Amino acid sequence: MIFYLLIYFIIVVAAAMAIMSKKLLNSAVMLALLSIGISILLFAYNAPWAAVFELSVCAGLITVLFISAVSLVKNDEDALKEKRVKYTVFPLMLVGFAVIASIFVPEYFANLFQFASFNPSNNPPLGDMIWLYRGFDIIGQITLLAASIFVIKHIFTKETKNEH
Amino acid sequence: MAIDLISYSLVPLFAALIIPFIPRKHRRITEIIANITLLSGIINLGYVIIYYLVLNDYTSYTSDAFTTLMLFTIYLVGMAITFFSTYYEVEKDTNFSSYYSLILVSVSAMCSLVMSRDFFTLYIFMEALSVCSFALITSDSKTFSIEAAIKYFFLTFPASVLIIFGISLLMINYGTFDFDTIKFTSMNFLTFVSLSFIILGFLIKAGIVPFHFWTPDVYEGSYSPVSAYMAGIVTKVGGIYAIIKIVMLLSSYGFGSNLSKLLLFTGFLSVFVGAIAATVQKNMKRMLAYSSISQMGYIILAAATFSPIGIIAAVFHLINHATFKTVLFLNSACVEKSTGTTNMDELKGLEHRMPWTSWTSIIALFSTAGLPPLSGFWSKLLIILALWQSGHIFYAVAALIASVFTLAYFTIMQKKVFFGKLPEKFNDIKEAKYQLLIPVVVISLIIIFTGVFFNRVFPYFERILS
Repeated sequence: MIFYLLIYFIIVVAAAMAIMSKKLLNSAVMLALLSIGISILLFAYNAPWAAVFELSVCAGLITVLFISAVSLVKNDEDALKEKRVKYTVFPLMLVGFAVIASIFVPEYFANLFQFASFNPSNNPPLGDMIWLYRGFDIIGQITLLAASIFVIKHIFTKETKNEH
Repeated sequence: MAIDLISYSLVPLFAALIIPFIPRKHRRITEIIANITLLSGIINLGYVIIYYLVLNDYTSYTSDAFTTLMLFTIYLVGMAITFFSTYYEVEKDTNFSSYYSLILVSVSAMCSLVMSRDFFTLYIFMEALSVCSFALITSDSKTFSIEAAIKYFFLTFPASVLIIFGISLLMINYGTFDFDTIKFTSMNFLTFVSLSFIILGFLIKAGIVPFHFWTPDVYEGSYSPVSAYMAGIVTKVGGIYAIIKIVMLLSSYGFGSNLSKLLLFTGFLSVFVGAIAATVQKNMKRMLAYSSISQMGYIILAAATFSPIGIIAAVFHLINHATFKTVLFLNSACVEKSTGTTNMDELKGLEHRMPWTSWTSIIALFSTAGLPPLSGFWSKLLIILALWQSGHIFYAVAALIASVFTLAYFTIMQKKVFFGKLPEKFNDIKEAKYQLLIPVVVISLIIIFTGVFFNRVFPYFERILS
């Protein structure tokens, strides 16, 4: 139980830090930490394939994309002098929400299991799941990856047709 | 998914991945690769469709014909836009670093989207499509286009959240999101909530009234060929297609009368608000955007009847609208390039200098307004017939009246832009280059042929959607 509480705590702190951080790089790292926490939780809740995808795509790939995008943006965060102290109210609200949720939400999740019409214990092995059931998702992953790379290239680099 | 059609989505994807490895100075090679990829696809698909259309014999036709038809439409519009962009000379600050890659990835995403056989795959490719369009809108690096992109981002990405929320509720309720295995046996509360979220999300993505606020700004602000691409195919495949798919799923279970009422009313609002707003616009592209909203309303009206003929009408109008809206937006891009403006008050008498642009516009607008024998007439006739047969006489009459509005605002546009005496400042403008006219003329010919040979086209549609 303490283990889960610790992971929940890490997730909440990482999410708050990702929003509050002044440096974009720190935000990206905190998002990666958040994804790792979520994927550990998914493993614990008997959803190994979702956990693997979360770990590989969100924690690995998206972080690489974010960091490459951040490095393309000109580094002028120091010029941005805004006081963010007043925004600490939002993480505090988040903590309040987490406390309230920890009282009420578990019951709701117990109710949700009644709706689940599949048995979580007979999940097929990961390899079978990917190749036999969700083969099309591999193309989806490649498409999303290609799309995100080209979008970053398109938005952050300037190149004109008449340049040459 | 339709595994035998997968090459149509893989080939553009790999072509897009090859393009970054070409040296920057050989830009012509990039353009050739993009054009050849889409051209080969369109020849292949065109052969498949025309072969069965001419033979009129479908006994040996095994593939998913509806998917094939959607793929053909996607390739047709994608090809027209790519070819047009190749010869559309642009200002200095236009960003071309990965323009063709993005077009190819979005074509691939749309193909995979129409091939998908479950809600989750559909969602993944819709997201890829949205991200690509977001970047494509900013192509000309003007403040206005960046504003349009931000509007697109803030209004359509919350819609994605709604859709994924609805899909996850569907998963909780049924344990599957497969189109084939999901069984809507009873309309319990969770099904109701999940379908509401999904349909709401797709209505926002499609830009239907009352969620239409992003469409005029995006179509007006984005780089001209991209606005043709957005209006021509992206909003249809990314929004309307999923709604038609849900209607097809639900219509076999015999319930959905509340959904039918809701969709009929949204479609009706969309048809009228779009048509009335279009009559008072000053900017040509903005007017076309409102016209697009109005025509999307027709598709929703047809689909909302939940009858076989309604679904045929919806799909037929979707494809027709993709063709004639592409022609009109590409023509507006030609006008913008020649005169430097799309403000209709400043334009006049362009027909004397740009006859091809003017005549293809006339074909497309007559088709949109539903004049025989063009393709738009038949699809509107089918829509009104479907509404009448399913007992929605009020909506049938409304659709008929709105098509008069359509003719009115398009005649105003044609009169202001192309007819009348040529002002002196436009004396030295010329017709657009013949390369720019090729896609427009080809699609205009498709509009005419689909209308004239409707006796061959209708059995095809009836067959593939049975």
